[in-house]
Amino acid sequence: MLTRSIALALVSAACAANAQDKPAASPPPSWQQGKPPAMSESTLHPFAIEMTGKAAKDLPIDKLKAPAGFKVEVWAEGMPGARSMAQGDKGTVFVGTRQLKDVYAVVDRGGKREAKVLLKGLDAPNGLVFNKGTLYVAERHRITRYDGIENQLDNPPQAKVVVDNLDPNKQPGHFWKFLAMGPDGKLYFNIGAPGNIVMPSYMEASVMRVDPARGVLETVALGVRNSVGMDFHPKTKELWFTNHARDWLSDDSPNDTLHRVSRKGMHFGYPYCHQGDTPDPEFGKNRSCKEFDAPTLKLGAHIAPIGMRFYNGKMFPAEYQNNIFIAMRGSWNRTIKQGYNVMRVVLDDSGKVAKYEPFLTGFLLDEKADPPMWGRPNDVMVMRDGSLLVSDDQNGIIYRVSYAK
Amino acid sequence: MRHGLPGAAALAAALFVGAAGAADVEAGRQKAAVCAECHGPDGNSSDPAVPSLAGQPAQFLSGQLFFFREEYRREPRMSPAAKALSNSDMNDLAAYFASVKPAPPKHVTTPENEQRGLELTQKFRCVQCHSAGLQGQQHVPRIAGQQPEYLRAQLRGFKQRTRSDIDGYMTQMAQPLSDHEIDVLVDYIAGLRTPSRAAAGGSR
Repeated sequence: MLTRSIALALVSAACAANAQDKPAASPPPSWQQGKPPAMSESTLHPFAIEMTGKAAKDLPIDKLKAPAGFKVEVWAEGMPGARSMAQGDKGTVFVGTRQLKDVYAVVDRGGKREAKVLLKGLDAPNGLVFNKGTLYVAERHRITRYDGIENQLDNPPQAKVVVDNLDPNKQPGHFWKFLAMGPDGKLYFNIGAPGNIVMPSYMEASVMRVDPARGVLETVALGVRNSVGMDFHPKTKELWFTNHARDWLSDDSPNDTLHRVSRKGMHFGYPYCHQGDTPDPEFGKNRSCKEFDAPTLKLGAHIAPIGMRFYNGKMFPAEYQNNIFIAMRGSWNRTIKQGYNVMRVVLDDSGKVAKYEPFLTGFLLDEKADPPMWGRPNDVMVMRDGSLLVSDDQNGIIYRVSYAK
Repeated sequence: MRHGLPGAAALAAALFVGAAGAADVEAGRQKAAVCAECHGPDGNSSDPAVPSLAGQPAQFLSGQLFFFREEYRREPRMSPAAKALSNSDMNDLAAYFASVKPAPPKHVTTPENEQRGLELTQKFRCVQCHSAGLQGQQHVPRIAGQQPEYLRAQLRGFKQRTRSDIDGYMTQMAQPLSDHEIDVLVDYIAGLRTPSRAAAGGSR
């Protein structure tokens, strides 16, 4: 009852965005929004990260398993909340955070990695991309650039604003951003939905792009609830992205999804239709899923896919070329937990999914325990030597997966 | 850049992160000597306004120390106290206090609030996050048997939207509470002694 009335209040508040009256109720956290009365007794809850990080020595790292021939090791630690990763021309690995306000820089010094806080006091600096000497950072409300940063890691330059005012309503919701550099020289990023299941406004529930030279925004895709991972196919140059589906419908539906953007302006259904075939019980009542574009792959319910990258390195066996690696940060909104793996997606020549299988496993310890896992894969990044880095924001650790014949 | 840094040592601790050492209970015990003045020996407070730390979930303790240091949560004594602590210090302190047995509370719930307090915790589903017996879990504190004036100040702070709140849930929950209901909840929760009794405040 309480949750429902607040959800309704939120909807009407969104309709009258400039109403002067201070709302009597506080909005629920976005993870609680849309929880139906029938699930009011549910004790399912998201898991909080370790704000101070955890030492690898305190964790069962030896549980991590990759296919035969692959080796998994701790690459760097001591970066609480480590999420999105980007590699600089000179080898610096930049690491963003969501619940903290920091961006880290990891420098390799003679085989030992040295991590330090590079930028402080930012607003959910989750999205990072490095291009032609410049580090771009996507915060909750803006995208900034730090030119020539790799030459001055001890004294970073002032941020220059690429685009601002991306979060004018300042409401709770999925507004931390992933950032990717398109083959067109434009920056691609998400603006998520303002709650679990809410009618989006402004540019919400979309994938956008901005020309960094002019700051002009364009809509790339709509109906996207929360995408925090995207990459461009090495051959076709098309944008692919992961997306989180809504919560509180059931353990097994809807699936989180993988999407391929074959033309600008596709609409992937949110909040009307989930996973391409499941109308939302509220917003989808008088709509048809046929109206919307379908995902390329259903990834599993509640598994919370974050980072995804195409593999175009030279280290892994040839059959890994142009595969997609996807990091699963969930699940929490499910009675029996699943996920917490790095997955491998194999595409055929036409871009259809030929295989979808676990690649790096072992974070999930007990599917019925609370918490069920000891670590959470967040982003994946192909290093210049062809190895794969996996960030774990639960503990502030980055792992490296390498291959040797 | 952080402002108001107390010294070079804190700067180094804050800006450089390295290979973290394993959380160490014994190191935490030694670092905790300074905490005893307010929080009591072994983290069992005897001051109604100061919280007990003994037996709290480690993730809650390290998280709050972090929030104090970074000033997400502001408190006149704790923010300065946390300033000089590194993340490793916080993990050691958290490991130590989590390992200490909590003393039974001195607070005795008034008979008229036994039932009303129980009903209020059921109405607001406190166990959903604070776990069975309100013993706390992960990043959520054990509130059973916590010092009453501390509990009252937190609930009032959430209601007034002045208490820091990682996701806004406690702020939302506290809005409909009357001052009287806050007093009833405090009187009930501060007197909770055993997990078995508190478990009756569960979801049934």
